[in-house]
Amino acid sequence: MEQAAKNKNLAVDEAAADARASLRQGLLAEIKSARRFANRGLWALSLFLMVSTLASRDFWFLPSPEKIVVRLGAPPTATIISLVLVLYTFSAIILSLSRMMAGIRHRSSFCHVGYLGVFYLFYYAARGLADNYWAVFGAGFTILCMESYRIWTFCNDLITKKSEQLAFLERTGRLPPEEPDLSE
Amino acid sequence: MFDRIAARALVPVGLVVTGFLVVCFVLLYAAIKEVVIRDSIGHANNLAGIVLKSTRYAMLQSDRAMNNAIIRNISEQKGVQHVRIFNKKGIIAFSSKAEEVNRQVDKKAEGCIVCHEKAEPVTVLGNMQKARTFKNSLGEEITAITAPIYNEPECANAACHVHPASQTVLGTLDIGLSREATLGSLASIRGQMLLFSILALALTSAGVIALLKMIVLAPMQKLQRYTERSLTDDTVAQPVGLPYELDKIAKSYYLMRQKLQQAEPEPAKAAERDTAP
Repeated sequence: MEQAAKNKNLAVDEAAADARASLRQGLLAEIKSARRFANRGLWALSLFLMVSTLASRDFWFLPSPEKIVVRLGAPPTATIISLVLVLYTFSAIILSLSRMMAGIRHRSSFCHVGYLGVFYLFYYAARGLADNYWAVFGAGFTILCMESYRIWTFCNDLITKKSEQLAFLERTGRLPPEEPDLSE
Repeated sequence: MFDRIAARALVPVGLVVTGFLVVCFVLLYAAIKEVVIRDSIGHANNLAGIVLKSTRYAMLQSDRAMNNAIIRNISEQKGVQHVRIFNKKGIIAFSSKAEEVNRQVDKKAEGCIVCHEKAEPVTVLGNMQKARTFKNSLGEEITAITAPIYNEPECANAACHVHPASQTVLGTLDIGLSREATLGSLASIRGQMLLFSILALALTSAGVIALLKMIVLAPMQKLQRYTERSLTDDTVAQPVGLPYELDKIAKSYYLMRQKLQQAEPEPAKAAERDTAP
């Protein structure tokens, strides 16, 4: 009888230890993933700097603007591209700020590199790259720095929160109670 | 550093304002530059038209002396670098520099190739196509206009001339103008825009920092000092003049402290008093 009770206690202890280990592992995995995700903005920024280097050398490996125009037709004028660039920069910054306020995990950095690369190409085809290079570079640097900052602060907060949960788990063997929603 | 409210609030604001201002500055300057250059090329085209009109009568009369005098007088005008008139074969018939006369120019040279790129030369050019820019031997920036001299009924029918009516272009006028004034204007615009942008940036940053400090940071520090002091001093007074939200926090904290003090047993209070510095 006593042995059965001991076995039962042992089984309960083992189950609790398993649950704790699995929770611990889950939290550690989340911290690791957040650490990896925190660098995403910087990777996007590096890729953008690489694209900008190619643009600063006037895309030497691409066919000349005349050949592009013959194949694809006339590009929009540099003025129209500039107007779209201003609109894009404004909306991207507003979106990034809104995501920062709402605390949303969003992986948008790399698509910005694509959009900015397309701006470089349009200016190249419209023969306006020399005059507008720094505008695209400034827009890209601002947007990607904002995104990096947003992702970095988001991940930092998440890592702090998960580390506190991990410490609580080590102390008590369970997760802390959910924080009440005080946003309203 | 990024744990502090000031850094968290000011870094994105500074980044956004600076970045957007830089983008707008570059785009605006590029647009202004395009307008100024288009305008200067328009003026250069008008000048080329004036030269053609001035020399028209002398050409109809086949008066070389008058043509030379007109070209020499025009080239003495400030900002005019060269004036040349080529015939159909690409030989310089008149020039502001006497040593150039009768020299043959390669049709593939810059300024000629625009029309002579294909077997059949182009006879009609737009204002911008007529213009080219280059640096002369003295390193000065030059805008040159290459304007075709078209055949007209008076030319084809003139007794002294041999141009058939079927010949569309009789020759070309090439006039080179210094870009010094245009580049000077652009540099002045750039300087003024830069100054304006720096002032706007400084004003925005200063405004945001001042408002943030006045409305948020200073009251927050006041509240922070109050909570820290109240840990050791029960008599510290609740701060006044805080913004609404912070005032509510200070009041809640004060009431909580009061309730804690009432709930604490007397010996604990005595011990706390004894250990207090």
